[in-house]
Amino acid sequence: MGLGSLDPGVYFRVQNTCGETGMFTIGKLAVQTGVSNDTLRYYEQENLIQPTAKSPAGYRLYDRDSTRRIHFIKHAQACGFTLAEIRELLTLRGRDKACCGDVRARTIEKKLQIESKIRAMKAMSKALDQLIADCANETQPVTECTIIAALEQVNLSTQVQ
Amino acid sequence: MKVEMYYTPGCSACLARHDELRTAAEAAVSGLEWQDVNVLDNIDRAVDRGVLTLPAIVIDGEIAFTSMPTVNQLRKTLIQRSGRGA
Repeated sequence: MGLGSLDPGVYFRVQNTCGETGMFTIGKLAVQTGVSNDTLRYYEQENLIQPTAKSPAGYRLYDRDSTRRIHFIKHAQACGFTLAEIRELLTLRGRDKACCGDVRARTIEKKLQIESKIRAMKAMSKALDQLIADCANETQPVTECTIIAALEQVNLSTQVQ
Repeated sequence: MKVEMYYTPGCSACLARHDELRTAAEAAVSGLEWQDVNVLDNIDRAVDRGVLTLPAIVIDGEIAFTSMPTVNQLRKTLIQRSGRGA
């Protein structure tokens, strides 16, 4: 439920509580971070964030560390980390005995995975180039289309590599 | 037989048991060549071998371990492979 659908009196009380404690509602967290309320609730389900407290009326309340965590999650997602991997990074972030080398190793692993995907995508692109080149006559009926014929071949994957 | 251990400097999991594993490997198979490969200097080679996690151990070009094995696991794998190649 968004703040807009709340009774104005309740809204005022929640805002007032937040002002006194330095905490804010899920709606304000959403505005500050550019992440939707639904996504924030999903992050909570996935144990990526937790409300710092609840208001007397039972509304989730968050503090500045929650904002920092959301920005962390967004930046990590932009670098290709999955939510499960981000959870591990957040755990490392909060663990006293963890060192930067462990975080760096995870980051290098992510780079390896991305480089591997890039290589696979390049191979796919090359295979498509071959199919396009083989189909020189685009006016042929589809029954004679070389691309369709090639895709129907059982051993295509070995041919295009 | 050639063993490549892919690692990155500062990775605590990569350092764990490294010396012990190397000693056990060299004792298990005569003439074994052990090479430590810094992934950061050899990204293409790591991708060629299918290394996606660290540390990883590649034996004769094939990925054998995607995390640090125990000494016994490594020894057993090396002896099996050395028997296969003989």
